[in-house]
Amino acid sequence: MDFDSPEEKEFPGLYASEAIDSKSKKSKEESDFSEGDHDKHSKKDLLIGRRKDKKDKGKDRGYAALEGESSPEEELDTKSPSKSKKSKTFKFTSSKSKEKREKSRDKEKEPKALEEEPPQKAKEKEREKEKDRHHDEKEHKKKDKERKEKDKKDKFEKKDKKDKKSKQLQQEDASEVEEVLALGYPIFGVSISLATERSRCHDGIDLPLVVRDCIDFLQQEQSLKCDHIYKVEPIKTRLLHYKRLYNNRDNDASVDDIPTACSLLKLFLRELPEPVLTTDLVARFEEVASHPKVTDQQTELQQLLEQLPKCNRTLLSWILLHFDAVIQQERYNKLNAQSLAMLLSPTLQMSHRLMVVLLCHCTNLFPDVKLIKYVPPLTSSSPGLPDNPEDIKTELRKQDSLLTQIHSEMNAGFITKKREEQLWEVQRIITQLKRKLRSCEKKQEKSIDELEHTTAAPPAPAQASQSAAQPTEQIPPTTNQSTVTAPIVSEDTIDSVPTHTVTSLQQHDETNIATSPPPIEYTVDKQTGYLLLSKSNPQRDDLLRLQIEYDELMNWQNELKTRILAERNEIFRMKQLYEQELLKAQAAPTISQEQLPAEGDYERIIEHYTRENALLEHKKQMLGMEIKEERRACIALQVELRMQEF
Amino acid sequence: MSKKPTAGPALHKVIMVGSGGVGKSALTLQFMYDEFVEDYEPTKADSYRKKVVLDGEEVQIDILDTAGQEDYAAIRDNYFRSGEGFLCVFSITDDESFQATQEFREQILRVKNDESIPFLLVGNKCDLNDKRKVPLNECQVRAQQWSVPYVETSAKTRENVDKVFFDLMREIRSRKTEDSKATSGRAKDRCKKRRLKCTLL
Repeated sequence: MDFDSPEEKEFPGLYASEAIDSKSKKSKEESDFSEGDHDKHSKKDLLIGRRKDKKDKGKDRGYAALEGESSPEEELDTKSPSKSKKSKTFKFTSSKSKEKREKSRDKEKEPKALEEEPPQKAKEKEREKEKDRHHDEKEHKKKDKERKEKDKKDKFEKKDKKDKKSKQLQQEDASEVEEVLALGYPIFGVSISLATERSRCHDGIDLPLVVRDCIDFLQQEQSLKCDHIYKVEPIKTRLLHYKRLYNNRDNDASVDDIPTACSLLKLFLRELPEPVLTTDLVARFEEVASHPKVTDQQTELQQLLEQLPKCNRTLLSWILLHFDAVIQQERYNKLNAQSLAMLLSPTLQMSHRLMVVLLCHCTNLFPDVKLIKYVPPLTSSSPGLPDNPEDIKTELRKQDSLLTQIHSEMNAGFITKKREEQLWEVQRIITQLKRKLRSCEKKQEKSIDELEHTTAAPPAPAQASQSAAQPTEQIPPTTNQSTVTAPIVSEDTIDSVPTHTVTSLQQHDETNIATSPPPIEYTVDKQTGYLLLSKSNPQRDDLLRLQIEYDELMNWQNELKTRILAERNEIFRMKQLYEQELLKAQAAPTISQEQLPAEGDYERIIEHYTRENALLEHKKQMLGMEIKEERRACIALQVELRMQEF
Repeated sequence: MSKKPTAGPALHKVIMVGSGGVGKSALTLQFMYDEFVEDYEPTKADSYRKKVVLDGEEVQIDILDTAGQEDYAAIRDNYFRSGEGFLCVFSITDDESFQATQEFREQILRVKNDESIPFLLVGNKCDLNDKRKVPLNECQVRAQQWSVPYVETSAKTRENVDKVFFDLMREIRSRKTEDSKATSGRAKDRCKKRRLKCTLL
């Protein structure tokens, strides 16, 4: 037949390229992928029609099977991961020979008998058979071709088989779909980034949860010191059980024995479609590892690591640091870098040498990576929410991250009862956390308010003195220029300032008084300009005291101002003197050199004086403070004295 | 959470929907904690649970307070799917919010695919009757069209707040008993669908 040879080339090639696609794409939307896949099938279906007309029996069966597949189950089918696709495609490519057909016919009978069995078992068997078929097919391919041409009489038989097969496929699909739905999107056998995204650690460290859990468990001291670590094989069913749990995101109970934890971690690494060091870079890593100079290795490794995708780097850093922790306990577990690399380098798809090199450099390569034990987000069964605002915030971040993941998974169609329940639960915890945080913040605000109130409670003297103390520093520049020529402040200015400010105080007080409802009678003391309330007013004394105190403080301020001005003039004078001296010194530079004492003495003297100066500076500050306090006490007394006058 | 009523008290899941600023959160907080929050802070999504006595029977109510703003429409579907009853809130002082209820109703029906889902149309802010923009009869007409009850509430004065939640819970409860009867009774495909729904919620 004319069509046979080209098609046969085309047929497996088609699927092979798809299989590769599925790996290299690593796209989140495997559903998309399988839709694409399905499109191709339907195109094929169209072709089938034509070929049937041409009585191309050799192909018929395979296409018939495809027809079966693209029938009612297609919707469900779109969700099946690429893996199961691949296994199916093997079957179709395989169905080419007469022998083959006979064999498969026999086999088809078996699965039908087995259909009553639990779907998984049946499916596994089915897969094994598919493999067998595939194997057989390769062997007999050539013979098959020849025979196929003679097979015209088998046509009717084939049609029967076609029906059977499509039925069987439907059933198979149904059982597969059940499992696939439970699986959702696997995390084993997909790229690191995808696995990380699908099972996040919600504390901001981008590792797939399974890796984190295993490392957490193995990082415990008793695990590291156990001499079973990375040596003993686990119970197979147990390992697969955990794999399924993680694939289903159902891992309430994390791994609790060393061999399973080790093997689960290894399994994850082994099933990665690409080495951790990536296919592109792994060769360059190997190159560096064979570099003779150890010091160069590190910088080059560092450069290569920079080029790795972030999640690969994180994963690599964690496993390497963990392995390093393992070999640190060589005394107990009898594993050193060499022997551990022997055990694990195949899993990591790197050479023994490279792994040893990486282990040797890992602490320097990842100085800021710390293996922190993962604390998963709280659930409703957790004892209680944190109380500390900081803890609440970190917990809130975790819960938010979890919520985002649930939403994105649900949007992607991964919806189970459990997920929906979790969604409400997480939402509820977030709400509670937010409320708690808000009440914490309110409490804080309140306490701050209270603090401010208590400090403001004895306000009169403290505030007044503060407000007086501040101007002493701020006001000079403005008055400066006008008084530079006359260092001693005239009495006029002293007088004018207080009177002016008293009026402003009056205004201030008036506004204060204005807010209190009853009209207030007051007189102005002509001599001092003080406001005097009527004797019956209880605030009379307070107001008077404040006014007197204000006056005193203003006096002090002015006094200080005059002193500052005097000092500035002194500074100016000294500067001029210094400049004159400097000019003189430049004119006769040799003298100073002669006066220099021996160098050792000189240093000692400098040291002595700097120390002395520091001491003096400190003393000066203390005295300054004392003076201030004394002055304040003086003012208080002065105020009391003058109070007596009224 | 939605474990079948065998374990613990029955759980009814209520979802608040409506435009932004109509008072969904205010109603919820008033119901939950007897507090009225004056300051407006847009909700993204909040969920609450409370034990209440419904006609002498202790039940739990899960309230999901959703975002009114369109920005969060994408995550709404996920919540709607698991809701058992809906309070569709608008403000009687804001005509746009009333018009928007139509869209919310449609979205809910689309997700739930069930015309008779427990549903209440709620006109909030009835303490601001002097600023009313949506005439009472218009609201009643719409409620009739949808064949759902119409209630006016005030989160501020607490008027009818308990009523809307309890009325809705009663509807959910009667709906559930209906469904369980249906599953134990005839009409096999119907009950299959129902059962699926029931367990799903």
